[in-house]
Amino acid sequence: MNYKKVIATLLAGVMTLSLAACGSDGSANTAADTAADTTDNTAATETAEATEAPAEDTNTEKVGSGEKLVIWTLAKDLQTFAEHYVETHDAEIETVVIEPADYVTKVQTALNGGQTTPDIIVGEPQMLEDFYEAGYFEDLNAAPYNAQDYAGQIVDYVWKVGQDADGIQRAISYQITPAGIYYRRDIATEVFGTDDPDEIGKLFADYDTILDTAQKLKDAGYRIFASDAEINYFSGDSAWVVNDTLNVDQARLDYMDLVVKLYQDDLTAYANQWSTPWYQAMAGEVPILTAAVQSYADDSINVWDAEGFAEATKDLDKTEVFAFGLPSWGVLTMRDNVGDNAGKWGVCSGPSYGFGGGTFIGISALSEHKDLAWDFLKWVTLDEETSEWWIEKSQGDTVSLVSVLDKHKDDANDIYGGEHLYSFWLKQAEGIDYSKVTRYDKIIGDAWGAAITAIKTGEADKETAINEFYDVVESTYPEITVNR
Amino acid sequence: MKAAMKTRKKNRNNAAYLFVLPFIIVFLIFSVYPVVRTLYLSFTTYKGYGTPTFNGIANYTRVLKDKFFWRSLYNTVKMWSLNIVLQLGLAFLLTIVFSDIKYKLRGLGIFRAVYYLPNLIAATSVAFLFKTLLDWKYGTFNQILLATHLVDQQINWMGQRSTAWAVIGVIQAWMWFGNSFIILMAGVQGIPTDYFEAAAIDGAGRWKVFGSITLPLLRPILLYVAVTSLIGGLQLFDLPFLMTGPSTAGEPGGTLQTTVMYLYKFGFETHQVGFAAAIAYTLFFIILFVSIMEFKFIGGKED
Repeated sequence: MNYKKVIATLLAGVMTLSLAACGSDGSANTAADTAADTTDNTAATETAEATEAPAEDTNTEKVGSGEKLVIWTLAKDLQTFAEHYVETHDAEIETVVIEPADYVTKVQTALNGGQTTPDIIVGEPQMLEDFYEAGYFEDLNAAPYNAQDYAGQIVDYVWKVGQDADGIQRAISYQITPAGIYYRRDIATEVFGTDDPDEIGKLFADYDTILDTAQKLKDAGYRIFASDAEINYFSGDSAWVVNDTLNVDQARLDYMDLVVKLYQDDLTAYANQWSTPWYQAMAGEVPILTAAVQSYADDSINVWDAEGFAEATKDLDKTEVFAFGLPSWGVLTMRDNVGDNAGKWGVCSGPSYGFGGGTFIGISALSEHKDLAWDFLKWVTLDEETSEWWIEKSQGDTVSLVSVLDKHKDDANDIYGGEHLYSFWLKQAEGIDYSKVTRYDKIIGDAWGAAITAIKTGEADKETAINEFYDVVESTYPEITVNR
Repeated sequence: MKAAMKTRKKNRNNAAYLFVLPFIIVFLIFSVYPVVRTLYLSFTTYKGYGTPTFNGIANYTRVLKDKFFWRSLYNTVKMWSLNIVLQLGLAFLLTIVFSDIKYKLRGLGIFRAVYYLPNLIAATSVAFLFKTLLDWKYGTFNQILLATHLVDQQINWMGQRSTAWAVIGVIQAWMWFGNSFIILMAGVQGIPTDYFEAAAIDGAGRWKVFGSITLPLLRPILLYVAVTSLIGGLQLFDLPFLMTGPSTAGEPGGTLQTTVMYLYKFGFETHQVGFAAAIAYTLFFIILFVSIMEFKFIGGKED
């Protein structure tokens, strides 16, 4: 009866494969799904994915009539631009907002499959290197675009982010995103006797000074930050990977020590960045969640139950938070969350120059509406009127067009105590060194963050945590040399 | 005459091929092609764009040397082990109760449906349900524990290493015990009642009956349950991913990172598709190997 065994074994094998292939057991991703999603010439799969995508987990909006332009983007900004564009142009624009986590895969699937839509694709800085290498973006230096003619009109670092390794312009952004420290002027005056941005900037000049500042604020009953991640945008003096070698500079190690001290010496309110209590700290008093109750699960705080949160934390000490470290788009985050604290804020420089995010727009190399796409791209990024309109419409986003920034550099922003925010951001943008950005930043940054968390919570000592970090980098990117 | 019959027979066969053709086409495109393509990609370096470049077995040696791959496999096995013990334990217990001729329990159909219900709920809903129930600060479960003074502080179920993996194991067992129960029950009902009656007349106790009649005769069914559970269990992805992700997928401390989540990281986050494909095939061979072992040990010798 040996053949029965053979048949049974074969059946088990086929069953394994077919379960893996169909994913019929409910597993969201299996061996074959990977293949199906990433193969470059399974037309059927791609069409299915592309047509399903907008309906299922994305946000599609169609405006105008005429020649049709399809935009795949990461945030709703471009929908607002499109609505305005069709008011004065003869075109129909379909803007699809896709989750950042799915965006790269969706673009790859569409363009590898030879799809002629989207016409316009976007990318955040860390996505761009792969997009350039894959040849997804049209060469904007070529005729009829001749983007190099506009070089001086856009803030320098933004212009360079839009260039591939050969210096060819592939994408342009309508905004700059330098980072700054947003601080409470009322608390500054009370504790430090001044609310002048230059003076307060000195309190954040380097990591040691930040710890001193934090201690002073704690002694006065406040906390310097809501979370211990506020200096992240300013961390590290050089790129994570230099000449294919992992580069952990002294500034990274100092940053690690800073975060551990902020945490272990109870200098923050222990909110996790982007969690509910973190946002609440912009509006006023928040409970200090204390090291004992702080954990990974903080993110799972029930955002639908404000009463429950208040009840659960009613016995904890309360504090007000002094500062947040955010890029220039933080103006919009603050606008939506400060509540009664509106008008009490100032912005000053951090311990170094940094920036975060930014939407870079390019034309798909496969588009059949390249002229229209270029017209739209130019209108969004290089048109003074549009930039003026966007400043108004977004209530404070910082555009990348130098002439408009210059024009507004003496505008006093009443919400920020009459500060000249545009000239401040422009100055910060001038200090940004874009060569520090690599395609590895997200994964390596996350692994470094995990190492810091392990140390600060006492899960691992510094040496073990850093070794684990090296292991992660080595296993994720074998092409990177790790010198321990 | 003979020739005419032969032609007719041949025609009939052709018509049958036509009927199965739609399935064959779909099967070839969506099952066979991805499986073959994945195998091909596993021997290449491929970023998701451009042309894959052949690199021999480099991806496989990298998988075998990668301690995080083995750690993810360990995590997966750990969660599956708890799940299978609970799932089969519970299913067996229910089977014994419902199949006992002395009890003659009524309403088997209703119970069967009720126990099977968790299996009908989409994993996304299950994840959301348990995320809410087990919420650290306001979860119903913690509130009940606090109200009944079983604990004096909320337990951070999904936030600490010691409990998070067990939570996943228990939820999996809850989802699947009804399924196992139905299959085991069907197996028991397939055993002729004469055996049980004869055993009862001979004075065999409940455990003697279970150990000497039910269990041995259920062996093929048990094997089926174990193999399918293993195949599903080692591919675990949805529940831990949905309950911890996407930005903190696999937390706390990477203890919930399963092998397929590890595969996902390379396939969809770092876009090392060739390596991800090699992980997929390594997992396939591991599942195949363990399935064969199960056949050998549980299946035993056949006559």
